[in-house]
Formats: sequence, C-alpha cells, structure tokens
Amino acid sequence: MMNTVLSIGLDAVSYGMVLFTISIGLSIMMGLMRVVNLAHGAFAMIGGYFASYAIKQLGLNYPFAIVVAVLGTIVISAPLEMLLYRRIYRGAGELTQLLLTIGVTFVIIGLANYVFGPTTKSIPVPAMLSGPFDLGFRMIPTHRLFVVACGLTTALALWLLIERTDFGVRLRAAVDNGDMAEALGIRTQVIYSMTFAIAVGLGAFGGVVGAELMPIEPSYALRYMVTFLVVVSVGGAGSIPGALAASLLLGLADTTGKYLAPEFGEFFFYLAVIVIVFLFPNGLLGRAQ
Amino acid sequence: MTRPLLELRNVSRAFGGLRVNAEVSFTLGEGERVALIGPNGAGKTTLVNVITGDLAPSEGRVVFDGQDITDLSIPARVKAGLVRTFQITRLFTGLTVAENVALAVMQRRGMTWRFFARATFTPGVREEWRRILELLGIADLAARPVTELAYGQQRLLDLAIGLALNPKVLILDEPAAGVPHDEAPKILEAIDRLPREIAVLMIEHDMDLVFKFARRVLVLANGRLIFEGDAGAVTRDEEVRRAYLGSYADGRRRA
Repeated sequence: MMNTVLSIGLDAVSYGMVLFTISIGLSIMMGLMRVVNLAHGAFAMIGGYFASYAIKQLGLNYPFAIVVAVLGTIVISAPLEMLLYRRIYRGAGELTQLLLTIGVTFVIIGLANYVFGPTTKSIPVPAMLSGPFDLGFRMIPTHRLFVVACGLTTALALWLLIERTDFGVRLRAAVDNGDMAEALGIRTQVIYSMTFAIAVGLGAFGGVVGAELMPIEPSYALRYMVTFLVVVSVGGAGSIPGALAASLLLGLADTTGKYLAPEFGEFFFYLAVIVIVFLFPNGLLGRAQ
Repeated sequence: MTRPLLELRNVSRAFGGLRVNAEVSFTLGEGERVALIGPNGAGKTTLVNVITGDLAPSEGRVVFDGQDITDLSIPARVKAGLVRTFQITRLFTGLTVAENVALAVMQRRGMTWRFFARATFTPGVREEWRRILELLGIADLAARPVTELAYGQQRLLDLAIGLALNPKVLILDEPAAGVPHDEAPKILEAIDRLPREIAVLMIEHDMDLVFKFARRVLVLANGRLIFEGDAGAVTRDEEVRRAYLGSYADGRRRA
C-alpha cells in the first residue's frame, strides 16, 4: 500500500513537472501577451527533434543537445514571430489567433513528417540519468529526479526574471500600459519579441526533458496541446505558481487514475479539470481580467 | 523675472469653426509657481494639451527652454523636461510603487539595455526613487502594488513619476480633483515640497488651493487670457468677476 502511494506520488510529481515545464511558456504568451498560441506544442516538438538529431546524428552530449534544441527552436520561430505573431500580440481577435497558430501547427506537423518520418524519435539520456537512484528507502529512475529539478529551476528562474529584473519590470509595464511604456521610451516591440523567444525556448526545453513521457513524433504537436491548454486554463494564464499548482494537481489526478483504474483512461484527468474549473472559473491563481 | 522656460506665442486652437483658444501668450520662468484658472469650458484643458503635445495648435508657437517645440512629439517634450502629471492612466498597475518610479528613472537615464539587474536595487537608481518618495511622503508605500493604493496615493505616485523624469517645467492637471477631503492636504503638502528650481503650472478649480500655491495667476475665459498677474489682485479684477459670475449665471439658467 505504502509502496503504491509512493510510486503514484513520484510519478505524479515528475509528470506534473513535465507538464509545467512545457506549459509555462504557453501560459506566459496567453497571460502577458494575450496570444493563444496553439503552435506551442509544435515548438516543443521541434525542440525534441533538435535534441534527438543532435545526440544521435551529431553525437553531442545531452546537456549540449538541450542548448542546441532551445536555441535552434528559437531561431526557427524567429521568422514566424517577425512575419506572423507580431500582428496578433495584444489585440487581434481570438479567431484570428486560433486560425493563424493552428495553421502554423499543421505546417510544422507536415514538415516534421516529411523530414523525419512518422516514427517516434528517441532522445537517449546519458548513463548518469538513465540508471536508478537510491533514495535510501527505495530506488527511482534518476531521470525522474532530473525532470523535477528542471521544473523547479524553470519556475524559480522565470519568477526571478519577471519579478526581480529590469527586463521583468519593463515587460510588466509594457503589458499594463503599452502607450505609457512607449512614452517613457520603452521599446515594447523588442520586449514582446524577447518574451516570445523565452516562451518558445521554454516549450522546446520541456519538449526535450519530457520526451520520456511524451514521445517525439509528428502528431505530438496536436496530441498534447489540449493537455497544455488545460494546465494553463486551470492554473490561470500568466501565473507561475498557478501553472505549477495546476500541473501537479492534474499530474496527480491523471497518475492516480491510471494506477488504480487504468480502464478509465483519461477520465480522472478531465474529471479533475471539470471540478477545478467549476470551483475556480478564472483558474487557480488567474489574474482577474 | 527669472530665466524664461516655457513661452506661448499667440497660440490659438480651433476645432472646426469653434475657436477654443485664441491668441494666448504667456511666459513661465524658472522656479515660478503659476496657476491657470478659468470657468468651465474656458479652454484650459485644450491649452494644456497644446503645451504637452497632445494637440497641435492651429496657430502660434510653443517655445521651451529657448527651443521651438511646437512640432515635437510628446516623448521628446518629456525628454526635454516638460512633464505633465496627475493623469492616473499613466501608472503601471502590475508594478509596485518603487518599480514605477525606478522605471521612469532608468528610462530617463537611458539605462534601457540592463536586463538582469534588479531595477529597484541598482545603485544610483535606488537612491533616486527613495529620495523622491520621501520628498512626497510616500516612502512607506514603496513595496506596495499600485492596485492597493488609495486614490490620493495614486496621484502622489504619479507626481513621483513626474519628478523621476527630471522636469524643468511640471504641469499639474487639477491635482485635487476627485481626491477625498482627508487626503487632499497630503497632496498640497507634497506640491509645497517640490524642488524650488522646477517651474510649476497648476490648472485648478479650487481657489483655496490656487491662493495657497500660486503667486501669479492666469485667467482664461472663452479661450482668451483675460487676466495675468498677482494672485492677490485676481479677485478684485472686474473682468475676472464678470467671467466667473457670467458662467455661474449661465449654469443656473441651464440647470
């Protein structure tokens, strides 16, 4: 019994952290820049392909492959930002945003299928992370701990960036009152572009470290997008603690359900979503709009 | 008179056929405290908008610190030192009081490419926002989010942002309007403590406030400057009385 509870807890936390790491970029785009970026999953997937290619074809080591994946995805997204996303920051109608970003997603899926084929691409983790880790009272896969550490580091770093740096102050100012920020001489377009890059980079990072749980293949871009959107809407768009809480709660609901009643599939995940959204219509820690 | 800083030369502004300001000329010198008053509809707001660059004049020139600024943008005027305050809309509600002021300080100093420093802690910037908040008596609010401030406190914060932009001329746009009675004295005190070298032009309805604050008064009626002179003399001026009484009588008739 104790063992089952522990197993569920550990799996729930690591799954929750993967959800968080990928979804937080989406949450920032939605909460701060008011863009519903349905292509966020596609960017996470691109990160995964980059890492897989970097390790298996180029022989790079795992940490370096993560860096390549994040930077590579940002580079690929940059022209999309300049040509397309810039038009839909803060103000474009929701329908425009959805049509544009779902279009981008389909294009990326098509290209991924064409370039890499329909099969799953693995991202081999280094020996250091692939073995078991002795917690003292039981063994767990080291990679799980790594994923948890990545999630917590991301949350802390992002919180510091937004709440404690000059960039964060300018970003919040631009989000609050763009005209006044411009009048003070803040280049809001530059701030938005950098925020977009950060959001996409986080997606790519999450795509790589979460590839064990969410394998990289062309339909990844759509398959998990609903889950990411659910995390954002349950947590409240733009809220880091909200996304963290939502990821862990949903991770727990999903894992518990799959352990104890596997025949129900995703039932418990969506039951938790319905209950939370019913109790907190703005999300757990959403900014009132 | 001290060195002239702001000078209006025959400024007129018309909206279609309606002339809201007609041939207004005056000069504001370094460190002066001047009030601009006038009955409702006299064209005060339009005149201020022409000075700050929100509106272009139909005729006439606006000169600031020896430079013709008639065609300059609002940010360029702010940069030159012509700053308007008491517009709540300019506060950043997602930021704390200290961050609001620190941001204005950093932007003014051109520190636009610092990313990972903590704005409110940066040496130099920190001393400056603290000094400004202390001057205005709101230092204890530094860490509070703007959304938690009372209305009067928000106005003081706006004044703090104005000061952080290092103005030579500060335009106070109805500083006491809408402020609850118990908060109004704090605003007056803060205005009283503004650095002497800053020239201040206050647009105000409240005559008590005007007399406490200004040594020189400009009276606008029907878009024209009908009086310019000593604060003590303004109530004795026949034309000023007529303008105010006239509008009062008009108001009564309309009501």
